Amino acid sequence: MKSQYKLIALLLFLVPSSLLRAGQNEDSWQKWGPTTGMNGGGFIVRAGYVIGGTTPLPLPAEIRSINEFSPKGGVSIGIDGYRMFSKRWGISLGAHFFWEGFHTSADVKNYYVEYQQKDDDSEESQTKKGYFTGTNETSTEMWGVTIPLLVTLRMSPRWNVSAGPYISYYFSKSFTGKAYENSDGVGYLRNESPVGEKIPVDREANAHYDFADNMLPFSAGVELCFDWKAMRHLNVFGKLDWGLTNIWRRDFDAITFKMYPIYGTVGVAYRY
Amino acid sequence: MALSAIPFLLASCIQDERENTECDIESIALHLDKPTAYFFHDYDTLQTLTWYDTIFVFPAIKSFADIQSVPTTLKISEGATAYLTSEDGTEEPFVNGSLVDFSEERTRYFRVVSQDKMWSRRYSFKIEHDVPSDGNLSVGFEDYHLDPTGKYYIWEAPALFTDGVWKNGNPGYKISKSKAKPMEYPSTPVAGGGPDGSDCVKLETCDTGPFGKMVNMRIASGSMFNGIFDVEYAMKNPLKATQFGSPFTHKPAQLRVWLRYEPGSFFQDREANPVEGIVDEPDVYVVLYRNEDENGNKVQPDGNDMMTNPYIVAKGRLPHNYNADGTDQLSSNPIHGLTNEWQDVTIPIEYYTEVDPEILENKGYGIIISFASSWQGGYFMGAIGSKLYVDNMRLFCE
Repeated sequence: MKSQYKLIALLLFLVPSSLLRAGQNEDSWQKWGPTTGMNGGGFIVRAGYVIGGTTPLPLPAEIRSINEFSPKGGVSIGIDGYRMFSKRWGISLGAHFFWEGFHTSADVKNYYVEYQQKDDDSEESQTKKGYFTGTNETSTEMWGVTIPLLVTLRMSPRWNVSAGPYISYYFSKSFTGKAYENSDGVGYLRNESPVGEKIPVDREANAHYDFADNMLPFSAGVELCFDWKAMRHLNVFGKLDWGLTNIWRRDFDAITFKMYPIYGTVGVAYRY
Repeated sequence: MALSAIPFLLASCIQDERENTECDIESIALHLDKPTAYFFHDYDTLQTLTWYDTIFVFPAIKSFADIQSVPTTLKISEGATAYLTSEDGTEEPFVNGSLVDFSEERTRYFRVVSQDKMWSRRYSFKIEHDVPSDGNLSVGFEDYHLDPTGKYYIWEAPALFTDGVWKNGNPGYKISKSKAKPMEYPSTPVAGGGPDGSDCVKLETCDTGPFGKMVNMRIASGSMFNGIFDVEYAMKNPLKATQFGSPFTHKPAQLRVWLRYEPGSFFQDREANPVEGIVDEPDVYVVLYRNEDENGNKVQPDGNDMMTNPYIVAKGRLPHNYNADGTDQLSSNPIHGLTNEWQDVTIPIEYYTEVDPEILENKGYGIIISFASSWQGGYFMGAIGSKLYVDNMRLFCE
């Protein structure tokens, strides 16, 4: 959890402290305020680029190095309806459609895996478990919608910060990966336990998996969003969706640690 | 651009490495000034252990020799500690290069404890003297038992076979189909199934299930051979998993064995596509080969070259069709002559090269005796359900 706080602290640091100063004149509050008046409401249409990952927190000790990370997808389009109740406070409710994901390759040591492999033809399934040392590649991609319910604070005439819970629903999701030897040529599974058979796993005989069916269709977390009013109708925004629910179904034990989706978005918004 | 910094940023979240959990002896080396004063080959003093080798017997030493205290080196898992158990049962940390007394066929015990101290494995080592044999073998396959994990059967074999047991692909099958019952393995006993009403062996080509499919090794041929089945190669390089042969000091002349064969209903290629018009065939062969090259290195025929290794001096095999270039020919018309009725088959052994009697006497040749339910099983081609029954094998020597 420590790294979570670090990140939030970092984001807060990025907001110039001058913004929190009071004393801007009322004209500018009026000028940059809701188009329907100080206590009014409106809509914000957002489009952004999404980057992030689905990750265990903290990274387990079995992960020895991360060799590669590349985002996949990375589009978010959404609309928020907002209402200000006072000069500074308001709420918003939105629907953000997203396509997000990533691909990563990591070296692992003694990484416990347990999974069922089902044969589509025979309906037969086999469980395999053991400790894997080598390289593990993972790709995940999700299409879905996030519904955030946020409290908005106008820190200054042109800066808003919003925070609150969200839930996401995935229309489509994938989580695939494969395991093979690392760059030193080491790749094996110890069958059942560290004293079990040492079974080499390499690129030719790699173990690949698809855990999409083991992912929950919903997730929930908290969203933090900063809006800067660049023009009268145009915002520049940055937001972070921090998942607090494990992406895996409760009965899924191939991956022994919980994983959380943590994705950030930067983009522009039309406000009226 | 900025994305390339992400692994670097994440690297700061990497935790300290945990201590290693493994505790294997990977190899053992005895440091003798003149190895051949004791062993039959220089290479016998360095032994690489497979996962199964927890009760390890070195290749036999000459009958007049006795190895007393010998500097010994173990290669063990990273960070692990080895302990030598002394005669009174106490344990001392073992330092590589210290003397170990292997005299009078003593069994010496080592225990290896992992770096994290949570796991340990116990090993025993023994050096035995060579016992001369008359060469002729007679095997009824009556003597079998379950392996220590209770998963599959193991057959006792003539003492000259490596580890004194028949080897087969059952340990590999255990990995792919962990739920299989002992009688569902490719190599199984059949109580009372022999031509004389005694027990026989059934070798059956089996489906390896979802894991086999995942690694594109969809079938496992039933097999019986002498040598080593190294499960470490079973997935990586399966033709190397079957390391055939054991030293032999006689000239085999013919193999006689009772056989019965039923091919499975359709022959499939490696991707499990049925191959029209091809009938599966069993395999039985005997090979005699020179087991040391000109530089004193071990010659180890495996699934790649057990028929083509240049050090082969003699062979006998069940008849098959071959292409003009000598490669195996899949056909609709096998000529092995086996049927679903028992028959006593004679396989003559043909010599290509003179055998040097002195080298022969000093274990410079090795013999391979091998049975399989699908002759292309090493390439994962064959018919699921092909069954080769084997009983009363006799090897006659000159």
